[in-house]
Amino acid sequence: MTNQPRDLRKIQRWMQAVIMHPDGIVGGINSAAARAQIGVSSDEVDRVITRSQALNSVKRLEVYGNAYYARLLEVLCGEFPALRHAAGQEAFDGFAFGYLQSSPSHSYTLAALSGSFPQYMEETRPTRETGEEGPDWPDFLIDLARLERAYSDVFDGPGPERGELLKSDELSDIPQECWPDVILVPVACLRLMTFRFPVHGYASAVRNAKGEGPAPPNPQQTYLAINRRDYVVRRRALSFVQYELLRAIVEGSTLADAIARAVEATDTDVETLARQFGDWFQVWTAAQFFQAVKLPGQAT
Amino acid sequence: MVIPRLGHPNIGLGLGLRTVHYRHILAHNPQVDWFEIISENYMDSGGRPRYVLEQVAERYPIVMHGVSLSIGSTDPLDFDYLKRLKNLADSIGALWLSDHVCWTGVAGLNAHDLLPIPYSEAVLKHLCERIGIVQDLLERPLVLENPSSYVTFADSTMPEWEFINRMAEKTDCGLLLDVNNVYVSSVNHDFDPVEYLQAVPHERVVQFHLAGHTNLGTHCIDTHDGHVIDPVWELYRLAHRLTGGASTLLEWDAKIPEFPVVHAEVLKAKRFMDEELVEVGVVRDDQRATQPLVEVRGDSATVPHPAAFVVAEAE
Repeated sequence: MTNQPRDLRKIQRWMQAVIMHPDGIVGGINSAAARAQIGVSSDEVDRVITRSQALNSVKRLEVYGNAYYARLLEVLCGEFPALRHAAGQEAFDGFAFGYLQSSPSHSYTLAALSGSFPQYMEETRPTRETGEEGPDWPDFLIDLARLERAYSDVFDGPGPERGELLKSDELSDIPQECWPDVILVPVACLRLMTFRFPVHGYASAVRNAKGEGPAPPNPQQTYLAINRRDYVVRRRALSFVQYELLRAIVEGSTLADAIARAVEATDTDVETLARQFGDWFQVWTAAQFFQAVKLPGQAT
Repeated sequence: MVIPRLGHPNIGLGLGLRTVHYRHILAHNPQVDWFEIISENYMDSGGRPRYVLEQVAERYPIVMHGVSLSIGSTDPLDFDYLKRLKNLADSIGALWLSDHVCWTGVAGLNAHDLLPIPYSEAVLKHLCERIGIVQDLLERPLVLENPSSYVTFADSTMPEWEFINRMAEKTDCGLLLDVNNVYVSSVNHDFDPVEYLQAVPHERVVQFHLAGHTNLGTHCIDTHDGHVIDPVWELYRLAHRLTGGASTLLEWDAKIPEFPVVHAEVLKAKRFMDEELVEVGVVRDDQRATQPLVEVRGDSATVPHPAAFVVAEAE
């Protein structure tokens, strides 16, 4: 014990720099960030951290240093089971370890920890081989990260369970002449996403696997609507034209404008689309994609 | 005059509410006296965790236990966090709010660990000032827990029990006396756990925690992944006698077994109570069907808990 206590701020910044250092406690003690606070070497660290009868000061600090990464890796492993399965534990740990160094938690909740993990995967992906075309293995891993993070957001974000939902008969009751100007209001949790691989099937297969788990799928442009019903995340595969139609609706277009946008973007025949979309809206309404419908002249 | 336990009643034997037990609790209404939640798992939830909590809160008393208050940090207090904490407490009618005598990060970071502080006059002053601000904002006394710790500081000038004693006297806060943490820290820091228990202000103990830990020979880690060991039960017996009894909660956060196993563990506490001192509700669990173990993740033998994260349920 000493008669002249150090400033608590310095001790905390020193300890944080030491236990979060990727090279371990000795690397942390010798780091510039730690030395800027308290200039001790690993041989002198008992001037800050006292030893116990059984452990020296470095060993004692290692409990915190080991736990820091182990705890947060455990969280990421739990949140990204399909990505972990695809990449393998060692590679996944490498991604996660790199991510934790580049984006340490700034939040009081672990729910925010992986918020920019998909972006990190994208930014650190290996350079594509010259001449190589089409989606590759890193694209698959990035897609999985995006999907599983979306699952987390939808699972614990605002959902439709306690609010009003659009009912099928409300759609049926809309006069034919009003349809072009109808605006459908999506539920807050609805996410429309595109992927280069059918990652939704792969992720479900991993979660349900009893044995080795699924093999990676071949590339296939994939469009998904992800929402929540009865507090469980649901995903529905869409065709390109369905995706474009829903995208326009989510952005606030009237049905007529949404159809026009979908037709233009997908080069679909408007007659073909018109024959189908009544059924689509019944399915999407049953799937709880929409909370309300606004008719022409209705106040927003 | 200090009102014993801040006027909070002894509400008996409780359990930590964990996601893997949601279905069992909602389906079977087990006769647990109360539940404790990890505050941060529910503060921002708009999904199933919050929905389940509200149902549980309709059936059982709820106490909130936080892991991110960071009362010992030198970073500014997070007023947005405190506001959300208060909103949750108000909305579910939490009986009291607790957190730890620790810090979780500085410079805007969160290590998501319960990091220890030096026990010195300057740190005591710093902590008491922050406790006062938080209590004013939350409009209720805080209940603070002694953490398990793995290092001690050369800058400490008093033992942990003296620091906690003076902190409680100065701020009028309550104490959550984690008996397992006293044991773990006593092994790690070579002190006598009985001396610790005798020294804390008994009338301020609002709640006890019990948990399992991992003994690695040279030190113990507060892993919350198993049964409470006999020496900890004996310390609980002493703590119970010294305090006259207080609400008691079992934490089990890793390798979590089926609900009846966890429930049976906390019921063991009745064997260590002096029946003349306290009355607790007769607790019965008629749901003892064996279920497979659930949620085994990571290397919990080296990771202190709680690590609070809720994994998404997807179709």
